[in-house]
Amino acid sequence: MTAAKHRYNRRRFNHQVFLMAMAGVVFLLIFAYIPMIGVVIGFKNMDYSLNIMKDLFDKPFVGFSNFVKFVTDAQFKNVMLNTLSLSLLELLFTFPLPILFALLLNELRSRKFKRVVQTSTYFPHFISWVVYGGIVMALLSSDGGFANSVLLQAGLIDKPINFMSRSEYFYAIVIISSAIKGTGWGSVIYVAAISGIDPQIYEAARIDGANRRQNAFLVTLPSIASTITVLLLLAISGILGSGFDRIYMLQNPLNLAKSEVLDTYIYKVGISQRRFSFTTAVGVFRSFLAVLLLSVGNFTSKRLTGNGLF
Amino acid sequence: MAAQTVTLLKKKRGLHGLDRNNGWDYLIIGIMLLFMAVCIYPFWYVVIGSFSDGQNYLRGGVYLLPRVWSLQNYMVTLVDSRLYIGFRVTFLRTVICTITHVLFTSMVAYSMSRDDLPARKAIYWINMFTMFFGGGLIPFYILLKQLKLINTFWVYVIPGLYSVYNMIICSNYFRSIPSEIHESAMLDGASEFKTFLRLYLPLSAPVLATIALWVGVGHWNAFFDSMVYTTDRNLQTLQLYLYKMIKTSEFVSSADMGYLPSEMQQNVTSTTVRYATIVISTIPILCIYPLLQRFLTKGIMLGSLKG
Repeated sequence: MTAAKHRYNRRRFNHQVFLMAMAGVVFLLIFAYIPMIGVVIGFKNMDYSLNIMKDLFDKPFVGFSNFVKFVTDAQFKNVMLNTLSLSLLELLFTFPLPILFALLLNELRSRKFKRVVQTSTYFPHFISWVVYGGIVMALLSSDGGFANSVLLQAGLIDKPINFMSRSEYFYAIVIISSAIKGTGWGSVIYVAAISGIDPQIYEAARIDGANRRQNAFLVTLPSIASTITVLLLLAISGILGSGFDRIYMLQNPLNLAKSEVLDTYIYKVGISQRRFSFTTAVGVFRSFLAVLLLSVGNFTSKRLTGNGLF
Repeated sequence: MAAQTVTLLKKKRGLHGLDRNNGWDYLIIGIMLLFMAVCIYPFWYVVIGSFSDGQNYLRGGVYLLPRVWSLQNYMVTLVDSRLYIGFRVTFLRTVICTITHVLFTSMVAYSMSRDDLPARKAIYWINMFTMFFGGGLIPFYILLKQLKLINTFWVYVIPGLYSVYNMIICSNYFRSIPSEIHESAMLDGASEFKTFLRLYLPLSAPVLATIALWVGVGHWNAFFDSMVYTTDRNLQTLQLYLYKMIKTSEFVSSADMGYLPSEMQQNVTSTTVRYATIVISTIPILCIYPLLQRFLTKGIMLGSLKG
């Protein structure tokens, strides 16, 4: 009797789980879909608006004029150059390091030592960029900072270099500190992938006479290639937006020429200067660029390796 | 005989045991030691700075241990009321946001894991779409303003209630729970919500702990929302306070300066006081680090299983 009733219930509209799912949908409608509709602000002229809701309905559409304003802005070239350069350097240096690190970890014979290495190299990942950036600035400071003291004592420089206020060092500082902060933790997923490789493959390679280097590069690396592809595509899709905290932290008026990127620019011009329409347009431009980069990456990866995100 | 020894060695050293520790091994160990030093030394540098005498420290050359020990930096940073406000706000938001996020997200995940959810496909795509597209900062800011969330504590909690990514991870885990459990609960007359709360939540403790730690660290380290969505001094998070203290030379708010003995005011420097504050703010992360390492390393694998 109860079983029959139960089966009947299952075929009925299950309003209880529907309500639970709707809680999520309502959340997304408010906090994700309404802001998406809000991009119309970028196609109107509402800069410095004092009554946003009124202007949102009253102001006429101005087409792509806000986009034209951004592209012709004096800052455009600089901001785009910095954003793309940092993204590219990130992909070239910060992305491959965790893979290399995981391969090296895999070569360690002592499990205990391996655990010690993992514990100490994962740690920086959990520290906020405010703190980490503060430490980086302390190490590089011109009054008694670590780097300058060492260089002075070694006689390599005559007087302290103010690394943070010289814009030519900015890219290097961001990339190197990100690499140190993220390499350890970034390797976790590769370590997991490596531990899932079938030991028989190594056995077969050994019988074929492979040495350890050949094992690492001809067995391990190809076995985790699909993981690498997926993570590379995720890195490409997230790359234009993943760096606000660290860049905003390490940025100062003196290195602005190399440190202003799209996200910091949007924040300053949009929130501090209240140029709502202009920065919404910049934001749309940024999303468009991110989707474009991801599509190109996905297409290339499908052509080359046969697997992609979608 | 020699061949036997080689086979024995191979067995003992596992898959890679083709030869003894050689130059290659020592090179790798060397690289690892160097990288460990690069990861850990910056923190050590700040710790010894925080225990150093301010004026003496400025002469430079303090690398391994303080030259002149001092606790004054900590005494100075502990009089600053902004530190206590920051700790309180950050602690409250971390606890409240993590609990509400895990409960809300896992509840939606439960419904999404059920095959009898009406319009499941449509709801799934409504969720997925938001992972790839968003409105950007300005429309979001204006929305929060219209919802009257700007400059309230709730601006930390409500927009962070739900995450599609965590929902998917959680939902995949719920699917791995045998459906007999659900059926027997239904037969006993439990409602769906009760089944979720009393059975599914306790059964998914490992994955929920992973998500909770992940979200919790994010809240502890967050400063962007505090900077953009609040201006009230009493809503300032610890990280925003640190940001302001590191970026400006004002290391104790002028309101609290009077609590310091004058000789201490002359002795300390902004550099070493800053270090002391950094150390204090990092202690909580250090305390839960063993948990973080254990659960989140497993969590990465949970995430990579999604499909």
